Amino acid sequence: MAVTIAKERWTSKVAEVVLGTEPNAVKIGGESTLPFLHFEGEMNNYPKVALEVWDMEPTEWPEMLTRAYAGVLNDPVAWAKKCVEYGADMVCLTLVSAHPDNKDTSPEECARVAKAVADAVNVPLIVLGCGVEEKDAQVLEKVAEALSGRNLLLGLATAENYKTITAACMVHGHNIIASTPLDINLEKQLNILIMEMNLAADRIVIDPSVGALGYGIEYAYSIMERTRIGALTGDKMLAMPVICILGQEVWKTKEAKNTTEEAPEWGNQERRAILWEVVSAAAFAQAGGSLFVLRHPESLKQFRAHIEKMMRPVTY
Amino acid sequence: RAGEELLPAGFDPLFKKVALELPPPDLEDSRDDAGRLLDTLEKTTGMDDALFNLETLSNLPAVLREGQWRVTASLADGKGYTEIVRVEPGRRAEKYYGLAVDIGTTTVVVELVDLAGGRTVGVKGRYNKQAVYGDDVISRIIYAVETPGGRREMQRAAVDTINELITALTAETGVESKDIHAVVCAGNTTMTHLFLGIDPAYIRMEPYTPAVNSLPPVRAAELGLMVSPGALVHCLPSIASYVGGDIMAGARLIEIDQAEELTLFIDVGTNGEMVLGNKDWLLACACSAGPAFEGGGIRHGMRAMAGAIEHVQIDPRTGEVHYQTVDGAKPLGICGSGLIDLMAVLRDAGIIDRTGQFLSRPELPRLREGDEGPEYVLAWAHESGNEQDITISEADVKNLIRAKGAVFAGIRTMLRMVDLPVEAIERVIVAGGFGRYINIRDAIAIGLFPDLPVERYSYIGNSSLKGARLALLSRRVRDGVEELARKVTYLELSVGNTFMDEFVSALFLPHTDLNLFPSLINAA
Amino acid sequence: MGLTGLEIFKQLPKTNCKDCGHPTCLAFAMAMAAGKAGLDQCPHVSDAAKEALGAASAPPVALVKIGTGEKEVVLGNETVLFRHDKRFEHPTGIAISVCDTQNAEDIAAKIAQINKLVFDRVGQIHQVNLVAVCNCSGEADKFAAAVKIAVENTGYPLVLISEDAGAMEKALEIAGAKKPLICGANATNYEAMTALAKKYDAPLVVKGADLNDLAAVSEKVMALGYKQLILDSGAREANRVLADQTQIRRQALKRFRPFGYPTITFVTNEDPVQAVVDASVYIAKYAGIVVLDTADPADILPLITLRLNIYTDPQKPIAVESKIYEIGNPGPDAPVYITTNFSLTYFCVAGDVEASRVPGYILPVDTDGISVLTGWAAGKFTPEKITEMLQNSGIADKVSHRKVIIPGGVAVLSGKLQELSGWEVMVGPRESAGIPSFLKQRWNA
Ligand code: B12
Ligand code: SF4
Repeated sequence: MAVTIAKERWTSKVAEVVLGTEPNAVKIGGESTLPFLHFEGEMNNYPKVALEVWDMEPTEWPEMLTRAYAGVLNDPVAWAKKCVEYGADMVCLTLVSAHPDNKDTSPEECARVAKAVADAVNVPLIVLGCGVEEKDAQVLEKVAEALSGRNLLLGLATAENYKTITAACMVHGHNIIASTPLDINLEKQLNILIMEMNLAADRIVIDPSVGALGYGIEYAYSIMERTRIGALTGDKMLAMPVICILGQEVWKTKEAKNTTEEAPEWGNQERRAILWEVVSAAAFAQAGGSLFVLRHPESLKQFRAHIEKMMRPVTY
Repeated sequence: RAGEELLPAGFDPLFKKVALELPPPDLEDSRDDAGRLLDTLEKTTGMDDALFNLETLSNLPAVLREGQWRVTASLADGKGYTEIVRVEPGRRAEKYYGLAVDIGTTTVVVELVDLAGGRTVGVKGRYNKQAVYGDDVISRIIYAVETPGGRREMQRAAVDTINELITALTAETGVESKDIHAVVCAGNTTMTHLFLGIDPAYIRMEPYTPAVNSLPPVRAAELGLMVSPGALVHCLPSIASYVGGDIMAGARLIEIDQAEELTLFIDVGTNGEMVLGNKDWLLACACSAGPAFEGGGIRHGMRAMAGAIEHVQIDPRTGEVHYQTVDGAKPLGICGSGLIDLMAVLRDAGIIDRTGQFLSRPELPRLREGDEGPEYVLAWAHESGNEQDITISEADVKNLIRAKGAVFAGIRTMLRMVDLPVEAIERVIVAGGFGRYINIRDAIAIGLFPDLPVERYSYIGNSSLKGARLALLSRRVRDGVEELARKVTYLELSVGNTFMDEFVSALFLPHTDLNLFPSLINAA
Repeated sequence: MGLTGLEIFKQLPKTNCKDCGHPTCLAFAMAMAAGKAGLDQCPHVSDAAKEALGAASAPPVALVKIGTGEKEVVLGNETVLFRHDKRFEHPTGIAISVCDTQNAEDIAAKIAQINKLVFDRVGQIHQVNLVAVCNCSGEADKFAAAVKIAVENTGYPLVLISEDAGAMEKALEIAGAKKPLICGANATNYEAMTALAKKYDAPLVVKGADLNDLAAVSEKVMALGYKQLILDSGAREANRVLADQTQIRRQALKRFRPFGYPTITFVTNEDPVQAVVDASVYIAKYAGIVVLDTADPADILPLITLRLNIYTDPQKPIAVESKIYEIGNPGPDAPVYITTNFSLTYFCVAGDVEASRVPGYILPVDTDGISVLTGWAAGKFTPEKITEMLQNSGIADKVSHRKVIIPGGVAVLSGKLQELSGWEVMVGPRESAGIPSFLKQRWNA
């Protein structure tokens, strides 16, 4: 008995965002289907993976993670090169030291580090601030200026500081991460506000504030599914690719951090922690994530292998 | 303020006096006196549900004979029966009166009505004396429940408020309070409970159950109301903890339950209650908007009284403000219609963004940093009636956005429950204390009301009082309110996420989903 | 898709008699449209209405049960494609397989390992659901022997995997009383398998070589009068499984009867890590059952957790966990803020505390995810609850002072709170945006 295959006729698609500069530019988004349903639409760009680099040595990362970056953790440039060696599509430089509780590094110094990292690697750069909205606006403004024309992805822009960051992106030709706390309406509102400043839709990437597996992953999961459906049904204010800044969430969970000895009933840490990161990412890939920021190189490898599989077209 | 003289089609007040002429008894017709009167009553008025009270009955033989079988019977509706309150000899020409009362959380309004002719004799309002126990219903419930004797105090405060108004009205009109024979009250569920002294404790607790929705009539003497002691006091029914008799009164007034067209009735009072439907079905909810559009919780907010700014314009270039006040008095504050205008013009002039945040516009002299964050000066101290700058702050704007968001979200949630689009609404009837003219276009522009053609909107002011008056003048209407209340399906907005989702999407000017406001897109 | 509330309402008696336990016929109709009530709850519907509503009110994915007793696995009754549309009803059953080619001790050892896959998450127990015994040997006796070991060693319902009806018959003689899942029927053996399923009243997997074949086999089994079915489209590659699972669910919602059943998926990836990741895709995307080989807790914990997340009810308010949140790196003299666990409220406060640049502790009290004033109004944000949080959260060990800042909107709570908790209560601004300036003026602990 022949089954009439059910295909949705989507009227629209996710905007395609280009990051970095030729010949090393990376493209994300552009999907005209729900994730991996190749039988009803296009998914021309693979979901991309960035590895995280800090501008100061992390003190609370589990040993399992620091081991992978032994010797480079106090040198962002060397660290970034290591990430590229591991095969990252992009490097995500997080300017943790700018936080007033850390080193309160000046915007100028931050910009200098960002430039050094950008010059040292040939993959495009994501630059994140320290999470203090006011400071981030100042820091990212300087970074944008120092790396003018390099087409970075800058964030996080929030409802509080988006104006400065958007303006900096416009002037210096960068892209913005619009970040909102777990709410599709707030997400859409920020996109509207940014677009009303005339930054084009294909220069915006959505950060819905993802959680890790077991820590509210379902909220962002559903927001991302709704965002994708919005994009495909013609809502221009939701038609941007989504970034999942996951590593930081995963590596603070006890499931990833507890060693085999600490939690024998949960099995081997190496296996468990990697799976925690990869399964979180795979779930978000199903919900529509286009860009993933992970921490462990093994997670990168496994997630990439999974994506390769899911990207193989299926037709009926 | 006097209510319009609405005479219901079936004029049949809850209290009336009718002249009766009984056939005198003889040996052939030796029916009992009471039966004779009842038979005559039925013959002359068609009323077959009348009952005597003992006092009337005990003197009946003498009264009938004194009047030579011509008597005047006083009839009071007891909800389900008619009480023969009194029988007097002869034809009595004196007047008799009734009261329609709107027991609002903030203000109480009493309308004195001549029940023989259906004319309003006087209307008076004042602040609810319960206010000393708290501004909102929740504080009052807490006081009534947690303070020993609190419930009694609260009941007294309500009764005192009404009594004061009665005294003022009788003094002004010369009507005697003993000639007031029927009272109809419309209030929200909490007010009704507190007025009657009924335990309100569970109104505010999940799952939000009132003690009673449909109320029996109560003797005025039991409540201490200064009217004829035997007068029956009727409270219009609620349907849920936060949709009360005030809303049912309004709903009946506009006859939503008879309507062919899909009708939306919104009372943007303290809570934003609404009823959606027509003759086939009715849905109601309380969206909990808060009193912002009555000026509550807004630093310089006020009700639509003399000196309230009711209309505002701002020059987008210079930021200069032009306003108009109620009665042209010097400005004292700003009322609902002014606030609606203001939100729209602040946004148009690029002073606030779509989330209500003030933008940085150093060139505008009226935009300044206040002690609660940024604020905009509407009127300088020298031009105002109270020598203060009249301002609107970012906190005010956010509060208004929440209030308008809640109203719109309530509307959308109801529509979603029945899977209907906004355009399906064929008429919108707005009640509440906005002020004289509410600018519907601006209300749409800020996303308070759905984007429907303006012709579909009408504004009816205090529908609660008008509804109560109508019920006082017509038993059919009073019964109709009860029937309507039974028909309405109450929608609890705290169940599920639909309302919250709608609410957050409405916390934007006009709305996160611009497609819901096509006329604004087209205008831009 | 389903009927709307109004469409259902039109067919009801409209008497508001309340016999269905709903206050009005419209309330009942809306509950029915939302899948929260069934037509049989109204004793007064006319036959005509039953006919009009009957088919539309039946769930598009049939309810199927495997096993008996408290470990019974219930699948089906799904009504949506996306969890946000309503919710996913019955969580994916996780089945771990053993092979009859292994020796008896190994089988028993693996089953013991499976039995131990029980995890406690925030006070709730989560575990795998089924043991699958696979007739890898192709021999009936070995299969029966392995099934016997399984029956004796586990309380979980079984999935019996063999396409040989003879072997299945033998296995069912041992395990049939416990309603195992018979896996299963295909285009060639379906008559014999259906007979067995009927005999034991046990659910049956129907497998197709592809979707068309699956529809054909499913129809044939239904024609034999059997309806306790589970569908296997034959796909084993993750990308294909995703596509097929999506198709089956979509078709079911369109009421294509042969696909109106829960599904089963098999993880066959050679790479052990990739196998787990494949399983996670199936859990996210509609699988009724996922069968895997691994019994390693490191593999199963993430899957069980994902299942828990995906199958939570999305209709609950978005709330943050009620616990101490540290903003910045607060020390013993940092301010302590009380708020509610409504996410919007919490994020406002967190943002403004951060903006103050003074590190602090935020304690969101569990108000069932509602805002400060609504919580106060509904009696969910009370001095008692705040006191409990101050006492039990461990905040007293983190700070050396005893001052707590409450939202300005609930200033009325301060007296009672101070009395109950013994903490000095400071009333903060009404809007959290005022926190930075409030701190400047009032905080000098
Ligand atoms: C949305 C809403 C609802 C929704 C959902 C609520 C939810 N999930 O929380 C629903 C419809 C379910 C609801 C129900 C009720 N609501 Co209600 N609701 C509202 C509304 C419109 C907005 C509330 C909101 O979400 N605010 C946004 C959040 C972020 O604000 P917040 O939690 O207060 O946090 C802010 C401040 O408190 C402060 N803050 C928070 N934490 C902290 C901590 C510190 C240290 C500091 C300094 C500051 C601070 O900063 C935050 C940001 O500004 C308000 C009215 C309004 N205009 O605000 C009424 C309101 C809160 N509700 C009210 C009431 C009474 C109720 C009901 C109990 C009855 C009713 N009126 O319907 C019911 C409950 C039962 C029912 N009928 O469902 C009243 C409350 C109190 C009062 N004074 O009477 C209000 C004020 C409206 C009113 N005046 O009638 N409500
Ligand atoms: S039992 Fe039937 S008739 Fe009665 S209220 Fe419920 S749906 Fe209406």
